[in-house]
Amino acid sequence: MNERKNAANEPPRARKSLKATAVVSSYQKEWFTGLRARVEAGEDFAYLNADVPMEILRAMDIPFVVNQWWAAICSAKRMAPKYYGLLKEAGYRDDLCSYCATALAESLDPDDKLSGPWGGLPNPTIAITRLTCDCQSKIFELFAANHGAELYVMENTVPRSTPSKWWELAPDRWEDLYDKDRLDSAVEDLRELIAFLETKTGKKFDMKKFIEVMELVNEQEYWYKKTRDLIAETRPAPVTVVDTINAVMPAQWQRGTRWAADHAGSLYEEIKALADEGRFAVPNEKHRLMWLGRGIWHDLAFYQRFEEKYGAVFVWSMYLAMGADAYIRNNVQSDPLRALASRYIGMEDFLHMPPWNSEWFLSEARRNHIDGVVYMVPENCMQAVEGSYFIKKIMEDAGIPVLIFKADPVDAREWNRETMTGLVEDFIETRIIMGGNK
Amino acid sequence: MSIRKCAENNTAFRRLNDVYRNREKELLIFRENGGKVVGEIGCDVPDELVIAAGMLPVRIYADRESSLEEADKYLELSFDPVIKAQFEKLVNGSYNDLIDFLAVSNSTDVIIRTYLYLREIKRIEPDKLLPPVEFIDWLFTRKPMYKTQNEKTVKRFWETLEEWSGRKITQEDFIAAAEICNKDRAALRRISELRRAHKPRITGSEALVIIGSAFFMHRSEHAELVSQLADDAKSWPEAEGVRLFLTGSAQESAELYTLIEKSGAVVVGEDHDWGDRFSSRDCNLSYPPLQSIVDCYMLRDFSSKKALVSERVKTLDEAVDASGARGVIFYINAYEEAASWDYPSEKKSLESRGILTKAFVKMSYPVSANVGLEDKIREFTKALGGV
Ligand code: SF4
Repeated sequence: MNERKNAANEPPRARKSLKATAVVSSYQKEWFTGLRARVEAGEDFAYLNADVPMEILRAMDIPFVVNQWWAAICSAKRMAPKYYGLLKEAGYRDDLCSYCATALAESLDPDDKLSGPWGGLPNPTIAITRLTCDCQSKIFELFAANHGAELYVMENTVPRSTPSKWWELAPDRWEDLYDKDRLDSAVEDLRELIAFLETKTGKKFDMKKFIEVMELVNEQEYWYKKTRDLIAETRPAPVTVVDTINAVMPAQWQRGTRWAADHAGSLYEEIKALADEGRFAVPNEKHRLMWLGRGIWHDLAFYQRFEEKYGAVFVWSMYLAMGADAYIRNNVQSDPLRALASRYIGMEDFLHMPPWNSEWFLSEARRNHIDGVVYMVPENCMQAVEGSYFIKKIMEDAGIPVLIFKADPVDAREWNRETMTGLVEDFIETRIIMGGNK
Repeated sequence: MSIRKCAENNTAFRRLNDVYRNREKELLIFRENGGKVVGEIGCDVPDELVIAAGMLPVRIYADRESSLEEADKYLELSFDPVIKAQFEKLVNGSYNDLIDFLAVSNSTDVIIRTYLYLREIKRIEPDKLLPPVEFIDWLFTRKPMYKTQNEKTVKRFWETLEEWSGRKITQEDFIAAAEICNKDRAALRRISELRRAHKPRITGSEALVIIGSAFFMHRSEHAELVSQLADDAKSWPEAEGVRLFLTGSAQESAELYTLIEKSGAVVVGEDHDWGDRFSSRDCNLSYPPLQSIVDCYMLRDFSSKKALVSERVKTLDEAVDASGARGVIFYINAYEEAASWDYPSEKKSLESRGILTKAFVKMSYPVSANVGLEDKIREFTKALGGV
């Protein structure tokens, strides 16, 4: 696995078939150009970690970019080897926290405005992260210092109670999901964040606008729910994860806008039309696969490698399913900030904490008629250490085989496509085709 | 006579050393007499409250010899080796007859995961005999609103301890326990002064024994012994060698210190949780109990796991200055990543003031598993003018 990539040896680009994917990708560029213009005109610009409640900034019309989205862009542009080299030159280790440290590494690049993705990241004036791991605040502080931005950190708490089937409680009974004091403290955190942003930017937080944003998020996620359900019940599947990840992940970071809600609606309509017309992503679909973990941004084509040979299709990733199950908060008007608190504090629990993640993954595997799970566990991220033993056990006890492997979502330097392909092929052959697990 | 000889001949040190080396001895006696023992993972469990409840707090520690069969089954690769070995002992039953309860503080990510995994094992594999577990979820960011929330967290722990011990913890119980712990910390700070003195009278490897024995015995006896030792050691000979400071992974044994001191250096201070950081702040007894505990644990010297880079740079600069060290060794175990993000800034700040640094990262456990380490330490000591 030590093969180093070079330009001539780059993996092929993934096939993306949906209009909605093309739309999101051109929208992002247009939006980013507009954002740059706003920053250049002197507006405050925030750089956020993915688990920050961005709905607040949306409601206050503060432009922002999400760290993990930007890391995915940098990775897709194959910038990672250069960036991690810069980290090393500056005395940092280049084998740590690659997902979250990409933008920090980029901030060390003197040529960023010339050679960075899309003209490089404009200089943020605000950097906000949550303390969901030991390293995040350090990376953000270093990043903020390099850009001259002000750092703001938000705390994180661990649930004491873990009611089962969170995905059934989340939309309407979100109050019952958490220990009361956790929600209380998250609401206080939101108020502090608002106060900070008002002072820093001079903009006012408007509750009416905020409710509109929350309703738009609900609308967008409602379409994701319908899309997830449609893919789950359609065999062969009309689309694969390459389509859904590319259409959903970037649009998720635009949530709370009319554009994003409409885009989610059009994504559903497009996939529905494919299903209705009997146009399937892989007509010879034989085995449905679930992808657990972050996307392999540097090699999305990897997911498609098993379609022709085995009819094995990756139909599930968390990106669409989290949209479907984790974001919707009905009855926002009753207590809008509390509704948001119940969304953002849960993300870490739902995804990274057994039994909430393991039970949800199993429920999703069943809903989507999954035959096997391929589970990527990064070696250098403690946050993504999420109880792989428990996840594997619950799946395999239910007759669904699991392949766990070690790889990095954005750093391609240690990625050997052939070795990884061999691992998955072997898994398909021995555990799914011959295993008789179902 | 060398410091080591003085220590070996000293009654107080001999007793502390015996406890340090036989870590189960005191807790077994305590349990035989009907007492209840609370095992602790993480350095932020308020011992004062455990003692106030009439129970004995002891640290869970790694066993360097044991296999990692259970840990390898449940834990991913990125758990650091010390936590892995601690987890192994909890899950393989080694602690079954040693502790009655387990308190876990969120002192680092990996410990939070450990708690989540133990909780899940208890739920899905109830035949594994794990003790009742309480999690203490501190908010370490220094904002007034988090202080209030921390008070609620401590109150919950207080109530759990009452349930575990079957008795009410009164304000007087708390004050008495906090006084013992404050006395112990004051005595330990006297030891620390002897280490940092112009002519150090105690070396790091002795200090580690003196501090670490607190985790395995009655705190009142510990305070008495350390106080006595601090008096006795004033007349011990001066420790010779290059003054070094150690930062990074907690050292549960004196192995690394012995290696450093063999190279001709003396470890005059450290900021890890089995060292000087343990005694860095008292409970302020002019505050109400909950506030007093929060003040003590939330506002201690910044740990590398729960602080910004800038906070760590400042804390380390101050600690190194106070110790008079000429060089700093960063020693970071494999998969204990957070401190690695601090290192370049800390190095820059220290070296700008003429203090040399040497980093050892991704280290294996135990210390002896690192081939060539001794030579590298010797080189560093030599570069600082040691022999
Ligand atoms: S541990 Fe994981 S989540 Fe935390 S900063 Fe590193 S890569 Fe990011």
